[in-house]
Amino acid sequence: MPVFESGEKARRIFTDLFQILLKDDTFTARMRESGITLHLIQVKPDLELYITPDGVQDGPPTEPAVIRIKMSSDTAHSLWLGKLLMPVALATGKVRIKGSVAKVLEFVPLLRPAFDRYPEIAASEGLPV
Amino acid sequence: MSNTASLGPVDFLTEPRQIQELRLHVREFVEKEVRLRVAENDRAAAEDFDWELVRKGHQAGLLRLVVPKEYGGLGLGVLGVAVALEEIAAACAGTALIFGATLLGQAPVLLSADPNLQSRFLPLFSGDEPVLACNGITEDAAGCDLLIPENAEHARDVMRARKDGDSYVLSGRKRFITNAKVAEFGSVYANLEGEPGATGLTAFIVPLDSPGVTRGPVADKMGYRACLGSELIFDEVRVPAENLVGGEGNGMLINIQQMNMARATVAALSTGIARGAFDIAKEWCGERVQGGVPLYKHQFSARKLAEMAAKVEASRLMYLQAAQAADTEVPAPVFPPAAAKLFADRTAIDVTQEAMSLMGARGYLREYGMEKLVRESFGARIYEGTPEVLALAIAEDLYTEEDF
Repeated sequence: MPVFESGEKARRIFTDLFQILLKDDTFTARMRESGITLHLIQVKPDLELYITPDGVQDGPPTEPAVIRIKMSSDTAHSLWLGKLLMPVALATGKVRIKGSVAKVLEFVPLLRPAFDRYPEIAASEGLPV
Repeated sequence: MSNTASLGPVDFLTEPRQIQELRLHVREFVEKEVRLRVAENDRAAAEDFDWELVRKGHQAGLLRLVVPKEYGGLGLGVLGVAVALEEIAAACAGTALIFGATLLGQAPVLLSADPNLQSRFLPLFSGDEPVLACNGITEDAAGCDLLIPENAEHARDVMRARKDGDSYVLSGRKRFITNAKVAEFGSVYANLEGEPGATGLTAFIVPLDSPGVTRGPVADKMGYRACLGSELIFDEVRVPAENLVGGEGNGMLINIQQMNMARATVAALSTGIARGAFDIAKEWCGERVQGGVPLYKHQFSARKLAEMAAKVEASRLMYLQAAQAADTEVPAPVFPPAAAKLFADRTAIDVTQEAMSLMGARGYLREYGMEKLVRESFGARIYEGTPEVLALAIAEDLYTEEDF
């Protein structure tokens, strides 16, 4: 049974998550410095978010983002809870990333605060943690 | 008639301008510096190493192709390395592998995204003197067990890493390591103590002048004699924790990335061997007259030449596609590099043998250079994945359904 009962709920939760990240000046400064924009694609349920240092936009970008991350919403839930490790998720293909490999590897460690905050967000939405 | 315009543009791979320039630059280096030394280096004793040629290659930028510009490199990615290796291997696969193995040693530093590691190790490749690197993965009892995640728990007698304060202590032996004898540092994989098999595989950057490191004797190989392969022995070698790559237990991820990068470049190297043989055969078939016409006018010879040319071209397109994928996807996809290597390795064997047959007795003589290419055509089928290992990876990929 999928973790998220609707795309709307998943969209709300992950939009909140990235908005929290964007409140961190270090995170946005590093994104700007490295020219990173992120296109997050999740399926089952489906959602697409476009994240820039300036905000989170619902839907795909008009221009290709520097990094595109694709995974299932269930995988995203396990990943942000820390139950699935990013290196394992990448090694097993549960998460697929397109973009300059150098930029991807620079970006992944910056997501650390999201791992810290997600369990709390998920629990408040009644998701299994 | 159907209108394919509605399907959108097809992304046929065209080499970017910088890569085209690199190809010409390396081709010139090969003509000026490598060809003159090919026979001598091939016939030298197994442990002889042509530092002078490496120095010239360093001056040509070949040791820093993949190093980012901010660390003094050329920033040309796996694609740049692959194109350079095709060009060098068309003259000498062993020389190409000296530079290819250095890329392998550099790869974990690049993949770590760790500014500390990168600022300490990557600028070494832009100094006045050449610096080589190597990749220490293969062991006597563990080859693909260290490359295939499903095999990890079955790996036996893997080199150990014991955490001790702010350091790790490595003990064990690595085997068949290209550049081990001449490298300044190695990317070395060891299993964390207490973890079964290779499930705790972890990558370290180890300076090879560290106390406790011994470089074993050089293997006497059938081909690729310009580069040196040997053992690396670690006896309680202390490595600072800051030299750990990608965190404890993430060695398999680094390794998979490295392997997929390497497969694209080995496919390029095999393409170079095939092209080298094809070029010699093409020249011969244009000059040699039998029955009043050049050989290429004879239908059998024409058929062989045409098939050889098509195979070389197909190999090139496949490695270019695979190299581009390695530069732009995480995890690097399994299929393009594995398929490119499988095809190109076979192409090297097929084309060198056909080229030899077209030249008759001359193809069998050392002075024409063909017999060296034939010997070397078999090498790439062994390292970075035999055809059997590649077939398993490809078949697995064919039947893997994404969970999204």
